[in-house]
Amino acid sequence: MLAARASAARAASRIARNFATVVDTAGVKVAAADNGEATSAVTVIVKAGSRFETKPGVAHALKNYAFKSTDKRSTLGTVREAELYGGVLSSSLSREHIAVTAEFLRGDEAFFVDVLSSYLTSTKFTRYELSEWVAPTCEAETTAAFANPATRALELAHNIAFRNGLGNSIFATPGHHLTAEDVKAYADTVFGSGNVAVVGTGIDHAALEKLLEKSLGKFASSAVPSSAPSKYFGGESRLDAHGVSQTVFIGFGAAGAPSAEHAVLAAHLDPTPSVKWSQSTSPIASSVPAGSSVQVVHLPYSDASLFGLLIQGPSSAAVKEAGKAAVTALKAAGSLKGEELQKAIAKAKFTAASSLDGRDGIVSTLGPKILSGSPASLSETISSLEKVDASAFEKATSSLLKAKPTYVAVGDITSLPYADELGL
Amino acid sequence: MTIAGPLGPSLAPAIRRNRSLLQWIKPIANWYADVSGYRKVGLKYDDLLVEERPDVQRALERLTPREAYDRAFRFKRASHCSVLHNILPKEEWTKPSEDVRYLKPHVEEVEREELERRKWDSMAVERRR
Repeated sequence: MLAARASAARAASRIARNFATVVDTAGVKVAAADNGEATSAVTVIVKAGSRFETKPGVAHALKNYAFKSTDKRSTLGTVREAELYGGVLSSSLSREHIAVTAEFLRGDEAFFVDVLSSYLTSTKFTRYELSEWVAPTCEAETTAAFANPATRALELAHNIAFRNGLGNSIFATPGHHLTAEDVKAYADTVFGSGNVAVVGTGIDHAALEKLLEKSLGKFASSAVPSSAPSKYFGGESRLDAHGVSQTVFIGFGAAGAPSAEHAVLAAHLDPTPSVKWSQSTSPIASSVPAGSSVQVVHLPYSDASLFGLLIQGPSSAAVKEAGKAAVTALKAAGSLKGEELQKAIAKAKFTAASSLDGRDGIVSTLGPKILSGSPASLSETISSLEKVDASAFEKATSSLLKAKPTYVAVGDITSLPYADELGL
Repeated sequence: MTIAGPLGPSLAPAIRRNRSLLQWIKPIANWYADVSGYRKVGLKYDDLLVEERPDVQRALERLTPREAYDRAFRFKRASHCSVLHNILPKEEWTKPSEDVRYLKPHVEEVEREELERRKWDSMAVERRR
């Protein structure tokens, strides 16, 4: 039954239809599809993530300046009017992008698209808003995020692995002082027509284009923010923390466009079971002690990727045991072939395809693609996954493991293992 | 709002609009500002604004650190003059060119925001499609 599947090309196209054609409007790339959802949502994605920031923390501040006072409306006016319409406004930051989203009922597009456009064109960046609202929000978000040892481990891992650029933390830390002028200067460099994409769901393409032309008007074009091509370094670091689970992150990175082989490796090692309350067939799942958890972390960026295992447990001994098992499984994974390889490829294909399941998924998966100029569909990803064979997989895995590992330990550093104790 | 507001009622905008009226009244206004004596203890006009009100306190928080420091210094110097029952030597009086209304724009902005909040709190909303 498994052998008699449809041809690969048909399978790829069935899984990944084009979301929408990308059109250039007022200098920004626009893609919108209306599939009859009850509400509409428009997301504006800007290439302004922490990777491009000029001063530490300025991208975090710029993301929190969303929906603050602009030339057209004050902060209070924006919030109250959005509430009266019954809409939801949100902003998010990742290492490469800032995204501002408005979700609203059909028929209210004019107001919400105008709110999103005025963030790009006419935010005031007043001093008092920075001290009264933006800075306390940044501080609160950082404190909440750093209470989680996994987040701390990942931020530190990125810093060690990539140093500048992708190594910049997405959280603003209290040590670096920022003024409203700094944030405005950063916004002036990144808010430009070559740098912005708009994704709409539940909204008609032509309507969205017309509204954007009206509200963005003569959107100044700016050069794409420069960032040196990422290089992978690797290293070891330990961070003391108490009252949280012991955490170890073992990562391997590679510079260059993310490869399908890494996604297949992630799918192979991922201990999440496909059937609830059962044990997955991943080589890690059987050898991890009860009470500890191992998560596979696969973070592809535009010109680098970080592949790793996040090991958490109630004590350092448990983490050491789980870590040894995970590293053994990782090192043995290169020789995957036959049915096991097909299983991993299928799982990777499903993960990729289901990333388009919700609104958030569509924006976070397709938004960066649209922004970098590729068509808004996963067909290329899916077909490159299908093309993975045993030899390519072996080569990719061995070159990944040859790099210097990134090892971060968060918790009781007197007892947590070192990298060489785990076999790295 | 003008009468109960922090800046008090004022005929100044009406006078400024009328050119000939302004020509006659400006010299009297300048003489009055000199004679009222706040410049002789090194203060500026906006130092005299009633600060014991929540809206002026919000406006004061919007001053730059330098402006806030200078304001505190002027108060300290003027208090010292009050203790000595004396005024400053002539070189240290505030010059008319320095007597800029540094706090008034912030107070007006806070007043506008307060009015906007009241408007939003009490408006009647009607949906029109």
